[in-house]
Amino acid sequence: MEKAVSSRRAFLQASSVGLACAVAAPTAWLSPAQAYAKRLPYTQLTDTEVETLEQLADAIVPGARKAGIAHYIDSQLAAPLDDCLLMIKYLGVPAPYKEFYQAALQSAHQLPLSEYQKPWHELSDSQLDTLTAQLASGAIDGWQGPPPGFFFFVLRADASDVVYGTQNGHETIGFPHMAHIKPVQEW
Amino acid sequence: MLRSARKVDVVVVGSGAAGSVVAAINAEAGREVLILEAGPKRTLTDLVSSQIHARKLKWSGAFVEEQGDLKIGHNFNSGYGTGGSALHHFAVWPRLHENDFTVHSEYGKGLDWPISYQTLRPYYDRIQDDVGVSGDALAEKWRPQGKAYPLPPLPVFAQGKVIAKGFERLGMHTAPIPMGIKSQAYKGRSACLYDGWCDAGCPIGALANPLVTYLPRAMKAGAYIQHNATVASVLHNSKGDKAIGVAYHDANGDLQTVYAKHVVLSAFAVQNARILLNSASDKHPAGLANHNDMLGRYLMTHPAQTVFGLMEQETQPHLGPTGGQLICHDYYQNKQQADDAFGSYQWLIASAAKPNDLLGIVNSRPDIYGKALDPFMRKAAKHFALMNLVGEDVARADNRVSLSAQKDSHGLPLAATTHNLLPETWSMLKRGVEQGKAVFKAAGAEEIWAGNPFGMHIMGGTVMGADSKQSVTDEFGRTHSLENLYVAGPGVFPSSGAVNPTFTIHALALRTAEQMLRDG
Ligand SMILES: Cc1cc2nc3c(=O)[nH]c(=O)nc-3n(C[C@H](O)[C@H](O)[C@H](O)COP(=O)(O)OP(=O)(O)OC[C@H]3O[C@@H](n4cnc5c(N)ncnc54)[C@H](O)[C@@H]3O)c2cc1C
Ligand code: SF4
Repeated sequence: MEKAVSSRRAFLQASSVGLACAVAAPTAWLSPAQAYAKRLPYTQLTDTEVETLEQLADAIVPGARKAGIAHYIDSQLAAPLDDCLLMIKYLGVPAPYKEFYQAALQSAHQLPLSEYQKPWHELSDSQLDTLTAQLASGAIDGWQGPPPGFFFFVLRADASDVVYGTQNGHETIGFPHMAHIKPVQEW
Repeated sequence: MLRSARKVDVVVVGSGAAGSVVAAINAEAGREVLILEAGPKRTLTDLVSSQIHARKLKWSGAFVEEQGDLKIGHNFNSGYGTGGSALHHFAVWPRLHENDFTVHSEYGKGLDWPISYQTLRPYYDRIQDDVGVSGDALAEKWRPQGKAYPLPPLPVFAQGKVIAKGFERLGMHTAPIPMGIKSQAYKGRSACLYDGWCDAGCPIGALANPLVTYLPRAMKAGAYIQHNATVASVLHNSKGDKAIGVAYHDANGDLQTVYAKHVVLSAFAVQNARILLNSASDKHPAGLANHNDMLGRYLMTHPAQTVFGLMEQETQPHLGPTGGQLICHDYYQNKQQADDAFGSYQWLIASAAKPNDLLGIVNSRPDIYGKALDPFMRKAAKHFALMNLVGEDVARADNRVSLSAQKDSHGLPLAATTHNLLPETWSMLKRGVEQGKAVFKAAGAEEIWAGNPFGMHIMGGTVMGADSKQSVTDEFGRTHSLENLYVAGPGVFPSSGAVNPTFTIHALALRTAEQMLRDG
């Protein structure tokens, strides 16, 4: 059975190359990881927000910074609602989502400053673990904006998108990707 | 061909599961049919294999407010654009059971249907032959009467086999899931490749989505579909007893009118109710088809919960369709399993998984993060297993769609939804999940956990009934107030049963469409 399926897959993939090209041809989009590597400018998030986002996302899902988490979120916040690919789109939060991320990132920025009088990147490993655990538990005094536990959930999911949701991410953990039509942008 | 864009025989609002069937049957009977679809045009080439890109298919229209102890999860459960939600639905296609039609008279719960299973049975039989359903009717020992499936069942892979052992050890029975997915080529459409991309939409035509089933038939017969056309209201004559057309916002946001002899609302449960509520006029001050204050009421969602595990054996969780491989209805027929619990439930077993997204491996364990995450993901990539409990909701008048004080970009009130479960439904869910964990234990799982309860599918809000004082439409989906205004889709279900609704949506839509032809 598996052999028959795989030869049928090969045939159908060959015939869907045309489809993939039709979607792919005119654009030379970069993946978030490529955008990160090229240090492309952000259009929605401030430098402080990017810094907080990357520190936190990388602590929650290691590899998220390099996989381009900040470029991913920044590009999606710039997209019209119809085209937005963020998971928050179906979590019952009204658009625009920029307010959600900005309010949460502002509180997240304050968190290590008020706990340890240091920014995220100066925290020791154990301090980083403590604050990440606080965020995960949702119990943070003085937090403004979306509930911290919910923000943790959303950010963890976003970071997992760029780390595990790409073909490369699938394959890194030994999960066959088996696309019908490969996305033009890696994710 | 459409002669005029301003005046047609039939205007169909929404191009999803129900709308596509109604459009095809009417167009094939020689009627001029215009489908107005709020979302953008989508083709098979848009169905990119990525859980991230898949989100483009989700609802992007006016925000829906939600409250209650089990929210309906509108944006997750709804699609937008050609094919509607059905474009990326998973095609799990079981039939309702006979006693789903009589929950009020048999159990004193919710509402009865105005028709019996036997009335709907021939429509199920015809739809499954049209579309090509795969399954093993004999193995489904709980299955109500009906023709055998036209296609043999889909294969069972390692994950299914491992979990099935757990059911067997507890003396329970499983059968291949009846699926609107081809196990063999059928009517010119390809067979499934078992790669689990159904949530991103199946671009090879193996899965029965409207782009490959009824929309091509409708188009071939001359129906026309206009995208980015969001219907705002239904218009009626001066007496208020007939619909004369609809008003819609076009791609530029301009309000347009189209006149029609028949108006069919198939914009899914919440938006159908919203359109009717937003159609209030001097003749119908509480909204169209709402003379009895029934419009918007009896909103339902299937209470669902997932049991997950890491199995000792390799499970190949990447293989198979997203909807699952096996089904168990052992706890379906008896809706009153315990004094404090009510409702049927089914198990959908061994869904193909993906690493990311809400239904993905990573979000099954939101408590794992940091350094512990990667080892978990690597192990799960080989040993992950899951099954979904889909439970019955009870239709309650206070679970409803109403209009919000907030407005959309066109100045129209948003839909506000409230949905709470009865205590006995919560109890059914709790008992079911305990059973699921026991199954996984018996299957030899090394780790077992359950996700949070969630709402799967949306039904009700424009329920059908025999009594015009207690329902919005008659048994054919004709509104009681306006004889040529029809509602198609799960909004007309008076009870939810505990099976996925889309096979039933098709069967009912076929019945509605044929009644429309008789109505002249
Ligand atoms: C991820 C997912 C998996 C699913 N899996 C299954 C499954 O395995 N089995 C099953 O039975 N069911 C499944 N379902 C449910 C199934 O898709 C729906 O029940 C079914 O599609 C509803 O049919 P419908 O025609 O009423 O609505 P839809 O198919 O949603 O079509 C409604 C259309 O109306 C349009 N619309 C809305 N408002 C307006 C307006 N004002 N003007 C014009 N157009 C409008 C929408 O954009 C949409 O295209 C699944 C759903 C989802 C989201
Ligand atoms: S698993 Fe089958 S039905 Fe689902 S997307 Fe793949 S080929 Fe299509």
